[in-house]
Amino acid sequence: MTIAHLSRRTLLQAGAALAASTALPTFAHAQAATAGGRLIVAADSEPKNLNPAIVASNGVFFIASKVVETLAEASFSGKDGLSPRLATSWEGSADGKSVTFKLREGVKWHDGKPFTSADVAFSALKIWKPLQNLGRLVFANLEDVETPDDTTAIFKFSKPTPLQLIRNALPVVSSVVPKHVYEGSDINASPANVKLIGTGPFKFTEYKPGEYYRLTRNADYWNKGEPKLDEVIFRVLPDRAGAGAALEAEEIQLAAFSAVPLTDLSRISKVPGIKVISKGYEALTYQLVIEINHRRKELADVKVRQAIAHAIDKKFVVDTIFLGYAAASTGPVPKNAPEFYDPTVPTYAFDVAKANALLDEAGYKKGADGKRFALKLRPAPYFNETKQFGDYLRQALSAVGIDAQLVNADAAAHQKAVYTDHDFDLAIGPPVFRGDPAISTTILVQSGIPDGVPFSNQGGYASKELDDVIAKAAVTVDTAARTDLYKQFQKLVATDLPLINVAEWGFISVARDTVVNVSNNPRWAVSNWSDTTLKS
Amino acid sequence: MRWLRNVAGTPEGAIGLGILLLLGLIALFAPILSPGDPLRIAGQPLLAPFTDPSFPLGTDRLGRDVLAGILHGTRTSLAVGIAAALAAIAIGLCIGLTAGLAGGLVDEALMRVVDAFQIVPSFLLALAFVSVIGASVPVVVVAIALGAWADPARLTRAQVLSIRERDYVASARVIGMHPAEIAFRQILPNALPPVLALSAIIVAAAILTEAALSFLGLGDPNVVTWGSMIAEGRNILRSSPSLSIFPGIALVITVIGVYLFSEGLNKVLAGRRGRV
Repeated sequence: MTIAHLSRRTLLQAGAALAASTALPTFAHAQAATAGGRLIVAADSEPKNLNPAIVASNGVFFIASKVVETLAEASFSGKDGLSPRLATSWEGSADGKSVTFKLREGVKWHDGKPFTSADVAFSALKIWKPLQNLGRLVFANLEDVETPDDTTAIFKFSKPTPLQLIRNALPVVSSVVPKHVYEGSDINASPANVKLIGTGPFKFTEYKPGEYYRLTRNADYWNKGEPKLDEVIFRVLPDRAGAGAALEAEEIQLAAFSAVPLTDLSRISKVPGIKVISKGYEALTYQLVIEINHRRKELADVKVRQAIAHAIDKKFVVDTIFLGYAAASTGPVPKNAPEFYDPTVPTYAFDVAKANALLDEAGYKKGADGKRFALKLRPAPYFNETKQFGDYLRQALSAVGIDAQLVNADAAAHQKAVYTDHDFDLAIGPPVFRGDPAISTTILVQSGIPDGVPFSNQGGYASKELDDVIAKAAVTVDTAARTDLYKQFQKLVATDLPLINVAEWGFISVARDTVVNVSNNPRWAVSNWSDTTLKS
Repeated sequence: MRWLRNVAGTPEGAIGLGILLLLGLIALFAPILSPGDPLRIAGQPLLAPFTDPSFPLGTDRLGRDVLAGILHGTRTSLAVGIAAALAAIAIGLCIGLTAGLAGGLVDEALMRVVDAFQIVPSFLLALAFVSVIGASVPVVVVAIALGAWADPARLTRAQVLSIRERDYVASARVIGMHPAEIAFRQILPNALPPVLALSAIIVAAAILTEAALSFLGLGDPNVVTWGSMIAEGRNILRSSPSLSIFPGIALVITVIGVYLFSEGLNKVLAGRRGRV
C-alpha cells in the first residue's frame, strides 16, 4: 500500500515537471478580430523600466520608441544615414567642443504641454549623461546644454567630441522625455518610467502585466496625417514557438526580433498570407564573437589564436547554425557599417591542416590521446545560436586536438563567470555593433577596464598600439581622419586577434501580408511606426 | 537470485526485466554499436529518418547522428538513474535505521529533516542545486539523490519500528549482541525488501528528473542525454518532430521498463509477505 502510494507520487512529480517544461502556452482568450487600424504585435519581454532615455536597449525601444521620440532616426536614404525627428538639423563646431541642434516647432507632449529646448537640456544633463547605459560613454564629456531659445539646444563638451560619433549615436541615445514630468522627483523611480509620456505618434494607454501593452493614436502628432494606425497592441508571448502559431492563427500580425525561430522560417514562409522579412535591422547588427582569456598561457600565443580562427568553418556556421540568415565576419566592424568597414584586413580561411601546423609550431604537440590541451568553453545562453555555436566550436576544436569542455550557465551566472570572475578560457558572446565603433565595440578589446563591466574586454588583453589608436580616435574630430583610425583599429584586431569575430547577423520579422510599410528603415522594429498601416 | 527468477515469473516483471536487460546491453556496448563521439558532426544537417542507411534515425540541426545520440544517451540516463537511486537508498537506509533504532530526540530531529526535504518539491531542489553548483554528471546525481532520499528514509524507519519489537530482535538483545550488529545483521536484511521495491521507482524518477534538467539546459553539455536531445529538437518541433520523438520514445520505454519491473517486484514481495 505504502509502496504503491509512494511510487505513483514520485513518478507523477518528475513526470509533471517534465510536462510543465514542455507545455506550449495556451491562448486563453483570443483577441477580437482586428478592426480598422489595430496592429497586434508579439512582445517577448516586459522591461521593468520602459524609459528609453534611461535604458537604451532594444527590448525597451521595441515598445517605447512609438511613444518617446529621439532627436533623429536612422534612415536608408537620408543625409548621414539619419532622418530628422525632434531635431531638424545639427551642426558641429570646428574644435569639436559644441554641437548645435535646431529643434522642431509646434511639437506637443502627450499631456498637452509644448516641447522645448529645456526638455532636451534636461534629458541630456539629468538622464542621458548620468543614468543611461550608453549615454554615459557618448556624453562623458558633456558639460552643459545651452538653450538660447525654445528651438535651439547647444551641447557643450569639455573635450573634443567627434560629431560623427554623436550623429551615429543619435537614434539610440537621444530619447527626449518631458522635463515637467520628471523634474524634482527621483528619476529612476518615476511612475512615468512605465506609463510613458512622450511626443511620439502613439500614446501609452494601458499595460496589463503578463498580457499586453496598448498604445493609441496621438491625434496631435506633429507630422500631420500620421500615424496611420489607430492602435498598436504588444501581446506578451514569451514562448518562441507561440509566436509562429499565433501568426498563423491571425491572433497577431507581426513578430519582430526573430520571435519566430530561424528553424521555423522556411516552413512559415510557405504559409499563404505570411511574409518573412530580413530587412530593417541593418543598424542593429549582432556579432558572434569568441572571447579569449589571454591569462591562459596557450591563448596568450597569437599562433594558437590564429589556429583557432583557422579551425572554424564560417560557412558551416552561417549556413547551418544561422540557416543563411547571417554573414561571415572579417573583423570587429560589420559589413552593415559601410562608413567604417574595411574588407582588406587579414582573414583566416577554414583550414584544419594549417591550424594543426600552427599549433605544432607554437609548441603544443598532440599527446598520445590526440589532444594538445584542454580549455573551458562558456557559450552565452542568450540565443539558441550562441549555444549551438558552442556545440559546434567544441567539435571544431577537437578536430585540431584542443579538448574544449562546455560549461553552461544561466545569463546571470554566465556574466559573473566571464566578466567578473574571469572563470573561462574561451567564451562565446553576442556583442552588438551600434552604428559607431566607439559606442560598444572598442570596449571589447581596450585594456584597463575594471572587472565586472559586462560586454567589455575581460580577457586580460592589453596592446599599447591598439589602445593608442582607440584613444586617438576618441578625440579626433575630423570625420575622414577618425574613419581612417577605425580602419587601422580593424586591421590591428584582425591581425592580433584579441577576440575572434565569426559571424554577424540581424533579426528577422515575420508579418501578415496585410501589414504595410514594414522594415523601411535600418532600425525599423525599434522606430516609431508612424507610417505603418494595415490594408484590408 | 531466486527473487529475480520470481520477478521474471510475473508477466509485468518479465517484460520489465527484458526491457532493462536490453537497455543495459545497449548502454554497455554503445561505443561498439556506434564508435566515436556521439556529439560529433557526422553528416548533412536535418536528414530525415529512414532515408540514409548510414544515419537510420536521421541527423539533427548540426548534423549529429540521432541514433548515436540515443544509444549513448542510454548510458547517461541509466548511469545517472542508478547512481542517484543508489545514493538516495544508501542515505535513506542510514537515516531511517538510525531514527528507527535510536528513537526519542534523535528520531524526532531526523524525521523533521526528512519532512523538510519532503516539503520541497524534489525537482525544484535539483534545479536550484544544479544551477548554483554548475552542471556536470556527478552534480546532477547528487542533486537528484538529495530530493529522493526522504522516501526510503521514512519507509526504512517504519519497517525498523515494527521489526525491532519482534521476538528475535529481543532475544538478540538478551544474548548481548552489539546494537550495531543487531541493526545491520538482524534488522536491516528484513527491512530491506520494501525499500528495494521502492528503489526501482526512484530509478525511474531519477531518469525523468535528469531528462527534465537536461531539457532545461542544466544537464552536462559535454555528454549526450535524451533530455537535451528533446530540448534541441523542440525548436524545430513543427518541421522535424522526429528529433524530439525518438529520444522521447527511448525515455518512455526506459521508464515503463523500470516501472513494470518494480510492479513485478512488488507482487513477489506482497506474495512472500502473504505467506509469512
